[in-house]
Amino acid sequence: MSQIFTVRELTDALKKTLEGAFPFVWVRGQVSNLSRPASGHMYFSLKDADAVLNCVWFKGNQRGDERFDPLTGEVFEDGPRPSLARTLQNGTEIMCAGRLNVYPPRGSYQLVVELAQDVGLGKLFMEFEELKKKLTAKGFFESMRKRKLPYHPQKVAVITAPSGAAIQDFLRISGTRGWGTQIRIYPALVQGDLAAGQLVAQMDRVNTEGWADVIVLIRGGGSIEDLWAFNDETLAERIFGSKIPVIAGVGHEVDTTIADMTADVRAATPSHAAQLLWPERSMLMQSLDELEIRLTRRIEQQLGAKEHGLSTLERGLGWLSPEQRLKRLDEQFLGLTDRLDRALGHTFETAERTVNYSEDRIRRAFGEDAVNYQLQKVQSLKDRLQWAGDGMLTKAERTLDRAAIMLESLDPQKPLERGYSLVQKSDGTFIRSVDDVSKGEQLNVMVADGSVGVQVETTTKNRS
Amino acid sequence: MAAKKKNFETQLKRLQTIVESLENGELALEKSVALYKEGMTLSKECRAQLENARNEIRLFTEEGEVPFEEETTAAENAE
Repeated sequence: MSQIFTVRELTDALKKTLEGAFPFVWVRGQVSNLSRPASGHMYFSLKDADAVLNCVWFKGNQRGDERFDPLTGEVFEDGPRPSLARTLQNGTEIMCAGRLNVYPPRGSYQLVVELAQDVGLGKLFMEFEELKKKLTAKGFFESMRKRKLPYHPQKVAVITAPSGAAIQDFLRISGTRGWGTQIRIYPALVQGDLAAGQLVAQMDRVNTEGWADVIVLIRGGGSIEDLWAFNDETLAERIFGSKIPVIAGVGHEVDTTIADMTADVRAATPSHAAQLLWPERSMLMQSLDELEIRLTRRIEQQLGAKEHGLSTLERGLGWLSPEQRLKRLDEQFLGLTDRLDRALGHTFETAERTVNYSEDRIRRAFGEDAVNYQLQKVQSLKDRLQWAGDGMLTKAERTLDRAAIMLESLDPQKPLERGYSLVQKSDGTFIRSVDDVSKGEQLNVMVADGSVGVQVETTTKNRS
Repeated sequence: MAAKKKNFETQLKRLQTIVESLENGELALEKSVALYKEGMTLSKECRAQLENARNEIRLFTEEGEVPFEEETTAAENAE
């Protein structure tokens, strides 16, 4: 005995050692001595065949109703689960997590529970995780190996409970889709100990028959235990080995089973499986409508274009037709006639005016008055002519008389008779000057009754 | 029945081909009209098939094949 402890010292040392060595532990056991005082804290013991552990579950660590699994994070599909703190009863086997704590006043140690869970669920979860790990290693969940669903499958094998909600949902949705399908329902229990075996048997049957294009594996929502058959390893192997593509829709959207993960296609729900299998009929109808509209629009476009072209040509042809040509010629003719009429009318008028005018002028020029006038004029002229003629004759007679007299007086013989003579040179020229003659020249002197030849002896010129 | 169903798909494909060829090419009028007629017939047939489309549902039990009555099932559910 190297040291003597006080109680307090020993207790402190134990506390230190114990709490240090087990900071956080998981303990599994059966509940007993459960008490719920007014404080809200819970006190109970965990026991198994050989030992007892006192536990305290403080109010602060107790949860309300749980919406999801505190360990896996999975949401509870069938609504929030009542807290284990409320449902806990003596005899329940649970798993607790917490710290060990020494309580000096009573000289006891206890587990301060932070988390408590029904042990059954925890066990299932562990199994699920183990199988998942195992099958992952086998390549069951490889997306590479997964097959596509056939487009609009016509032969569909549905493995499910014929009385379940799942098949109702599936058929309701498939009724509005596709263009007619043969659906065979292969009944199987989907819950309970027999379920997995029946599911496997039906998988085998469908594969043996080889009739179906696709296998549909569906089940409605439920708790993890309800869906447990779909976490069966043999079923997973059958799905993996199926010659026919498998679509699985087990539980609700958040539920994931091994069957879901192994299937070629995972549908969130049974209804979703039907959605994935066939196109909606109204969509098909719509695409038909669309095709029809495109078809009609196209043909109308083309016909419209042709019609337009045709009518253009028709107009052109009409323009060139003999009838049209005649009509045009007629119009031209009418136009010309009109112009001609107008031109002729005009010409006539002008001509008429001219004629009238000319007539007028002619009348004025050659009319009765004018004629009379002219006749008068002629008469007057005639009178004047007469008168002038008469006058002229008288005058001429007198002039003639006077001329005869003058002519008589101019007769050279006459002066000769009065004693004058004319002297001529030998050449006949009459001598007018002294200078005209020279001495000795023979001259002829004409007298009244003949001529005398003389010779010039002298010349004497008059002084001037 | 299976042949008829297969028809729908073939007919729909054919219809699509017709529409595309009409839209893509300048075809002779006679050819276009012929295609249009064929297309409209196809469309009508497809429509009729959709309107009359019913799924044939049968239950495969150990005893054999029986028509699946949803009403019966609903009644069973109620029980």
